Amino acid sequence: MGSSANKPQLIVDGKRISGRGPMDLRNLKITAGVLKKANGSAMIEWGNNRVLAAVYGPREVFPKHTTDPRKALIHARYVMAPFSSAEEHGRSGPNRRSIEISKVAKHVFENNVLVNQFPKTMINIDMEVLQSDGGTRVAAITAASVALVDAGIPVRDLVQGVSIGKVDGMQVADLDKNEDNYGESDMPAIVSLRTGEILLYQMDGKLTRPEVDNALSMIFEGAKKVREKQVEALRAKYETDVAPQE
Amino acid sequence: MILDEVKEVYIKDLMKKGQRADGRGAMDYRPIRVEKNVFSNCEGSAIAYFGDTKVLAGVKIDVAEPFSDRPDEGIFMVNAEFTPAAHPEFEAGPPNEKSIELARVVDRGIRAANSIDVKSLVLPDGKVLGVFVDVYVLDHSGNLTDAAALAAMAALKNTRIPKYEPSAKQGAKGTFVREESAGNLAIKSDVITCSFEKIEGTNILDATDEEEIASDGRLTIAVADGQYMVASQKSGRAGFKQQELMSLFDAAVAKYGELAKYF
Amino acid sequence: MDKKIVLPGDLVADKPVKLEGCFVENGKTYAAVVSVTQEDRTIPLKGRYLPNYGDYVVGIIKDERFSGYSVEINSPYEGQLSNRDTREEFRVGDVVLVKIMAVDEVNSAIVVEPRRLTGGEIIEIESVKVPRVIGRSGSMLAILRQYTETDVIVGKNGRIYLKGGNTVLATLAILKICREAHTSGLTDRMTAFLQNESKKVN
Repeated sequence: MGSSANKPQLIVDGKRISGRGPMDLRNLKITAGVLKKANGSAMIEWGNNRVLAAVYGPREVFPKHTTDPRKALIHARYVMAPFSSAEEHGRSGPNRRSIEISKVAKHVFENNVLVNQFPKTMINIDMEVLQSDGGTRVAAITAASVALVDAGIPVRDLVQGVSIGKVDGMQVADLDKNEDNYGESDMPAIVSLRTGEILLYQMDGKLTRPEVDNALSMIFEGAKKVREKQVEALRAKYETDVAPQE
Repeated sequence: MILDEVKEVYIKDLMKKGQRADGRGAMDYRPIRVEKNVFSNCEGSAIAYFGDTKVLAGVKIDVAEPFSDRPDEGIFMVNAEFTPAAHPEFEAGPPNEKSIELARVVDRGIRAANSIDVKSLVLPDGKVLGVFVDVYVLDHSGNLTDAAALAAMAALKNTRIPKYEPSAKQGAKGTFVREESAGNLAIKSDVITCSFEKIEGTNILDATDEEEIASDGRLTIAVADGQYMVASQKSGRAGFKQQELMSLFDAAVAKYGELAKYF
Repeated sequence: MDKKIVLPGDLVADKPVKLEGCFVENGKTYAAVVSVTQEDRTIPLKGRYLPNYGDYVVGIIKDERFSGYSVEINSPYEGQLSNRDTREEFRVGDVVLVKIMAVDEVNSAIVVEPRRLTGGEIIEIESVKVPRVIGRSGSMLAILRQYTETDVIVGKNGRIYLKGGNTVLATLAILKICREAHTSGLTDRMTAFLQNESKKVN
């Protein structure tokens, strides 16, 4: 976590710089079905984050020798565009950080997708971070869950998450870039509310036992708000299929 | 490998009866041993043995330019190599997602605990010390993360800082007199990791490679100074509930002393 | 007749029921795909085609082998057409109507009764909307054919082959059916639409 000399004061008079309360999320909007060619897609606008998720499949496995006769393979790719950060031009393509995030994102969907229904296939989940402002991995996976549903791929639940941090000693939800850079702790997580399971869990910082427990409770509380936006996005796209139009 | 599939069934069947193939309890370690200062050319080194698993950590100290956004801090970095010597399925080549994940989890724990006082690594001429930890997996028989974290911590706690002589030329890097020590690297906080593998709904500690194949998922928790969670990572498809995660944190804290005694 | 959208994870039934697009967990039935529920049925609104015994599908010859042909059927899975089941010779790229004769546990399909389709157009729709394009006992197809004079062959895999007549109007009509697939009174509206549009052309 950041310990740099130019750390701004993140909590002023008990409030976050953005004016948010500890449990307040940034503005969040999800749009389902934004791409024509992909089998499913979603765009998420979360604070200043902009992430596009696209799903292709189930389809024939490539390379062929990796085929699993019992289930569909999940290929997840999280990557940040070179122009996505407010700082300098980044390197294009995956780096160590994004390779790690792609791996844990894949694990989320290996749990979430009913992979046994599609033996010998693969499902590609592509998450393109176009603009980053802290919390891109939970934003990307939240969008990818909507894209999977938009692709008609059977899943066990909509999955979503939020990152819980500790800034100036206070535990807060949905860190923005400043809070992420200079905060004392960051705990991004993805959950299934239906099963109460944590499907992605990463953490660094320095937390006591009660703080860990409290952060986990905050994750589930935040996830409820995020799920509402996923449901809104999917209803907006599919409700027209149900309501008589004339 | 086809044999793995056969063993997977056996390990799962045993687990349903609450047993492990080597007779251990769910929260028991294999015999652990740590050798320190195994090499003389690097500034710190250690090999951790967890049963048949052997993981080496080597520490090199270099002089470096500080990162532009952190001029008053030294550099700390962990890298991991899964050597082809360690397992028939390990291939030579660039780091893959598994070795990157392992390195980053070990790195995060030590970094988040502020084990290394990076501010103390600034040299009088404005250059900084870089502390480079390279984890080498020599024999993969499971639980590489915990072995790597233990080897890294043991190596760091026994790392000497070579004597530095600034350059006469303004702005140029000075040189090390590696034979002469300027004291040991100061470690402010001790970190261990505990990795739990979930098999048939039961979480076990210090899994063998065969148990890892049968596992649905892993939760790694890095504990500092016997009480703080400083890093954590869930891997694999299994989900963990809040209560479950908290009880594994408690288990990791309870196990802290069993590993910390080897530093 | 309450139609309701369900999303993945939504509880559909308190007991285990075998429903399309649903799964059972701990004795309860949940939606796995975005679907419409109506009385005790669920109708998925999206999903890739999986080969099913008895389906007629529009395929494309993808590969020629010693023993026969592999047929691309707009699905994650291919159909296999054996030389024993056809005397005709095909080339890669030929469009064929085939019947799915068998599907194994990993969804590989054996296809038979190939009928070569030449000189027409192919459009693709969501396979879950095929029943609407066909209509109750073929009623929708009948009016499509009547007003467009197009030969319409609908594959269960969401591929539709159109030949002759007013193929442009047929395409527009099919896309309209897909857009309004879950509305009531669709057959009547489509009749009016086709009557209107076919007059414009003539």
